Amino acid sequence: MTVIIGCGNLLRSDDGAGPMLIRKLWELGVPPGVRLADGGTAGMDVAFQIGDAEELILVDVCETGAEPGTIYELPGEEVETPPLKDVNLHDFRWDNAIALGRWLLKSRFPKKVTVFLIEAENLSHGFGLSSTVEAAIERLANELLQRLGGIVSET
Amino acid sequence: MKKQEVISKSKKKEIKVHSLGRVEGDLDVKVTIEDGVVVDAWTEATMFRGFEMILKGKDPQAGLIVTPRICGICGGSHLTKAVYALDTAWNTEVPPNATLIRNIGQAVETLQSIPRWFYALFAIGLTHQNYASSRLYDEVVRRWAPFEGEHYEIGVTVSAKPVEIYAIFGGQWPHSSFMVPGGVVSAPTLSDVTRSISILEYFRENWLEKILLGSSIERWLENKTWEDVLAWLDEKPEHRNSALGLFIRYSMEIGLAKYGAGPGRYLAVGNFFHSQKYRYPTIEGRNAALFARSGVFDGEEYHDFDQSRIREDHTHSFYRGSGSLHPFEGVTDPIDPVEGQKEGKYTFAKAPRYDLPGVGEISLEVGPLARQVIAGRPGAEEWQDYDPLFLNIIKEVGPNALVRVLARLHEAAKYYLRVREWLKQIDLNEKFYIKPTELPEGRGFGATEAARGALADWIEIKDGKIENYQVVTPTAWNISPRDRFGKRGPIETAMIGVPIRDPENPVELAHIAQSYDSCLVCTVHAYDAKSHKELAKYEVVKF
Repeated sequence: MTVIIGCGNLLRSDDGAGPMLIRKLWELGVPPGVRLADGGTAGMDVAFQIGDAEELILVDVCETGAEPGTIYELPGEEVETPPLKDVNLHDFRWDNAIALGRWLLKSRFPKKVTVFLIEAENLSHGFGLSSTVEAAIERLANELLQRLGGIVSET
Repeated sequence: MKKQEVISKSKKKEIKVHSLGRVEGDLDVKVTIEDGVVVDAWTEATMFRGFEMILKGKDPQAGLIVTPRICGICGGSHLTKAVYALDTAWNTEVPPNATLIRNIGQAVETLQSIPRWFYALFAIGLTHQNYASSRLYDEVVRRWAPFEGEHYEIGVTVSAKPVEIYAIFGGQWPHSSFMVPGGVVSAPTLSDVTRSISILEYFRENWLEKILLGSSIERWLENKTWEDVLAWLDEKPEHRNSALGLFIRYSMEIGLAKYGAGPGRYLAVGNFFHSQKYRYPTIEGRNAALFARSGVFDGEEYHDFDQSRIREDHTHSFYRGSGSLHPFEGVTDPIDPVEGQKEGKYTFAKAPRYDLPGVGEISLEVGPLARQVIAGRPGAEEWQDYDPLFLNIIKEVGPNALVRVLARLHEAAKYYLRVREWLKQIDLNEKFYIKPTELPEGRGFGATEAARGALADWIEIKDGKIENYQVVTPTAWNISPRDRFGKRGPIETAMIGVPIRDPENPVELAHIAQSYDSCLVCTVHAYDAKSHKELAKYEVVKF
């Protein structure tokens, strides 16, 4: 099984790209063996979504100074953030969740973790994605469906 | 998609990733210490909370989507009060099944929070090296040390179980929007109900009775007084050695029973509705239909809760002007903190107050202790929750950090029983939703008890759009700053008089902040009252 988790806060404009991508994939329809989850801002629960998955795909936004809408693909080990001892339950993100999952799930932890990051344009308070990030999640949705053997929409 | 647009990066580089979690941002608690005792305190929320502005002008149902995202750890509670705000504004009919499922969702989210908060947030502080001389220290570390303690892992793992029940009825947890005006959108089957029961039993067998209580739920709930609790401790080794038993004994030894009282005045807005008595939700009919009652306890007497008596004072908050408004009249007009500081303002949190008849506006503590004190009010209907234990405890030993934590652990037993009962009452052949008429004008009030306390929404609808939306969170009640009379908020009050063993390492202050479980990442800054020099900065889970 492959689990795709979109993380982010819908109340912070482009930070909602992860959850919005999950909705897009849901509408397009994913092939059997793929499970979608809206990770939102609840970091620790990301870890509980991934037990027994072969592969985990995480999607979030980033801020690197690159062109808005740029999509990065990173191996999970590169962004995993241990140690966990300093982490506050109220400030727990998915990069901590990967580390938590590895500790908690042991052999049930996914063999492969891939992280997609979308360069944000606007992270201010508000609801709705900028058009560049909207286009980026469209591209990423199709890319993911292609890789997972799903039907790609004609756009 | 063109492959080259996917840039593979294997070399390490500083990338700021997001999940900008809590809209409210961080909490700084500043205290001044004189001769080893805290003499003053200020709570400062350092980030602006702007969701009221996001909601203005939106579709009335936007609150169901937006408010569950205010918090990454109590979204179901936000959904619960948002839906009741709309139910009351639109005069909906809510079928009994929907009320039961809403109750279940609300309760399992709180059940989830109890072990997660205890192990991942609170008990970590108990393993602090400051307590190494305690006789029980080695045992506490053996059990509760983060990631290594014997019970830490089971506690964190089991915390995921109750919300599996939420996901069965709500599609997902967190951030579900399955409660809608007029009911819920789920149509559960018999196997959904039986699966939920088996998950709940797993929670009881593997953690609640075996690890937390060391006794049956029923035996623990027989305790009606502090004396009963002490007798229960001595009754059996299993009781003494349970998590609850160890926590009580250790806390008494390390002094958690001696500080952190808070204002000693409590508010509960009430929780869980009688499925028949709240078929037609109204603001006025709310109190009489509550299973876990609402109310105010002023330290001496009980008073009925009336939402029209709530005010938000923003004299010391970074909003334009000063004054104290009811949330229906609430205004969110932020100003630059630098400007605000010139007027003596120091936080983005407003100061919720309750206008008690004959007394005036007072700060009130909310949370599990508040709920359990209100549960001790005599005169409950036969079907309502009546539980005198914590009224007795605060009278016998006073409120303190230990008692606040104990109230929260106590609720695990009560909530388990409630969910079990509601699951039994679902009638799979009856309705779960009745389509409401979407009224273009109206006012609504919805409230519930999140794990960490009273949570309420006020909505005003005009021309089919949101004219005004105000959310008052439990964190706002507890971390509220001073009001226009200069009166401190609950956590500010709880800090006063606390003896600090090591001013370079004021772990006592962290325990108090954690006992309130504010919904913000909390940092405590300690200053010397005479030199104004910063003595220590203490992030609540850092070692």
